[in-house]
Amino acid sequence: MTAIVKQALLTFLLLMLSSLAVFAAIRLSGGDVTAARLPASATAEDRELFREQIGLNKPILVQYVNYLGKVVRGDLGNSLTNNAKISSLATEKIKNSLILGGAAIVMVFGVGIPLGMLAASRRNTWLDASISSVSVAGMAVPNFWLALLVVWLFSSTLGWFPSAGQGGFKYLVLPSLVLAAEGIALTVRMTRSAMLENLSQDFVRTLRASGLSESRIYFKHVLRNSLLPIISLAGLRVGQIVGYALVVETIFGWPGVGQILVNGVLRRDYPIVQFFSLVLVVVVILGNLAASAGYVLANPRLRK
Amino acid sequence: MFRRALENKQLVAGLALGTVVLLLGIIGPFIFGDYAKQSLSMTHKPVGTPGFMFGTDGLGRDLAARVTFGIRISLIVAVSVTAIAVIAGTLVGLIAGYVKGAVDTVISSSIDFVWGFPLILVAVLAAASIGSGLVPVILAVGMVNTVAIARVVRGEVLGISEREFVVAAKSGGYSTPRIVIRHIVPNIIPVVLVLSSYYVAVAIIAEASLSFVGLGAQPPLPSLGQMVSDGRNFLRLNHWEATIPGGIIFAMVLSVSLIGDGLRDLLDPRLRTAVERAVNK
Repeated sequence: MTAIVKQALLTFLLLMLSSLAVFAAIRLSGGDVTAARLPASATAEDRELFREQIGLNKPILVQYVNYLGKVVRGDLGNSLTNNAKISSLATEKIKNSLILGGAAIVMVFGVGIPLGMLAASRRNTWLDASISSVSVAGMAVPNFWLALLVVWLFSSTLGWFPSAGQGGFKYLVLPSLVLAAEGIALTVRMTRSAMLENLSQDFVRTLRASGLSESRIYFKHVLRNSLLPIISLAGLRVGQIVGYALVVETIFGWPGVGQILVNGVLRRDYPIVQFFSLVLVVVVILGNLAASAGYVLANPRLRK
Repeated sequence: MFRRALENKQLVAGLALGTVVLLLGIIGPFIFGDYAKQSLSMTHKPVGTPGFMFGTDGLGRDLAARVTFGIRISLIVAVSVTAIAVIAGTLVGLIAGYVKGAVDTVISSSIDFVWGFPLILVAVLAAASIGSGLVPVILAVGMVNTVAIARVVRGEVLGISEREFVVAAKSGGYSTPRIVIRHIVPNIIPVVLVLSSYYVAVAIIAEASLSFVGLGAQPPLPSLGQMVSDGRNFLRLNHWEATIPGGIIFAMVLSVSLIGDGLRDLLDPRLRTAVERAVNK
């Protein structure tokens, strides 16, 4: 338990440090705010005054603390491109990303674990070979390329699913599949090797000797021992999904955090970039915290 | 060794595929000429159009010229970044693992700090900070790959420096540089070699992904990722515009991964777990 508390404290420090780093990096960008917000006829003094008004000439640490204070009060500022309130954008974008990311996580485990079990139970058959080779391919395919292929097949050719946009379950299938692909492949491999490793353990021999049915041994004892370490690392998959969401949301026009962040960077809309990159950094760090907590909980030897 | 290499199917397949792509990248631009030349009467032409082996894109540019030049950019970025990351990562890992103590604590916590973040996010943030282009891609990939390699090297060095032959060399009074160079470095070369091929793959994917969303190589430079992005709107009209550059990215990644797997089995099958742990995050 102390390990987890220590980890939580460390995580808080990490959150502060990395959000400061991100904040500073984006302030550094040198994108001229005044060019976006003031008319072209504004004089140099006007621009300086404007910078002073929004606090851009203060030291970076002061700006950071001020910014955090505003974030806590719910005042996130406005977009530079269309002046939309970021606080009202935020709820919608975060909700959309949670839907997509949640669907992807469910797929990673809901598809990956059964396939891995199947491959392990049919070891060295054509089924095992095909599941394993598809999962190797799944790890080598860049996900925008996979996105293109599934759009081409399921959308342009077969017309089963829409190629982009949002609205209802049908729109969720392709993006979440692409987002989950690498995680599924990884989970298949991990499940397969964990199952095989456990199946060769002494306790399985003992259970067989005491007359338990194969399926009971397989589903109850071996599965439980194999899954714990895999599921406990789910937090790491979160980080991976956040990274890929930046690309996948952009491809599928999914109006989430990843898409607005990438567009923000393209349009040099720094208040947008500032806030949404902080959101993703926080999610990644919390995911890593969950992973290390899960790891400790799943390994009784590490609990003290 | 050479015969065993030839018997390794993955290595041979990876090298064969890699050679084809590499030759395309080296020779292609000389054969197909200017990648920016537009023939406005020749837009969206399919593969096999006379004069345009791979067809043309929406602006009537020769896809063969663009794709082969794109291979060059992709490979130059991926290989040079990884080379730098390998050297820097090995050095940092050696120092942390061999010196230990406070130095190791500082290095390891910085490694853990960076390692926690997904590469694409780091690259997007780099682009947000210094503007789109190949430079943020190179910085982000370089940093994340350096850290990834340093992390593995540190772990290996920690283990090796406890081994008898190192202890013996120490008690024999050899100087630290001699011990590190003669006794430790040779033992980490296999794992570094295998990892570097995986990180070339990671770099190719990262460059292509960033260019795909528009934050990587900027026009008029032809980048494979950007070509896939341009072509995906014309899948029904002329799918080659997206499938050729996309297929080539896939072929590059596949060939480098196969070479990595082959090298791993060839050099030391025991590396399997160490490498999987490093690559699978």
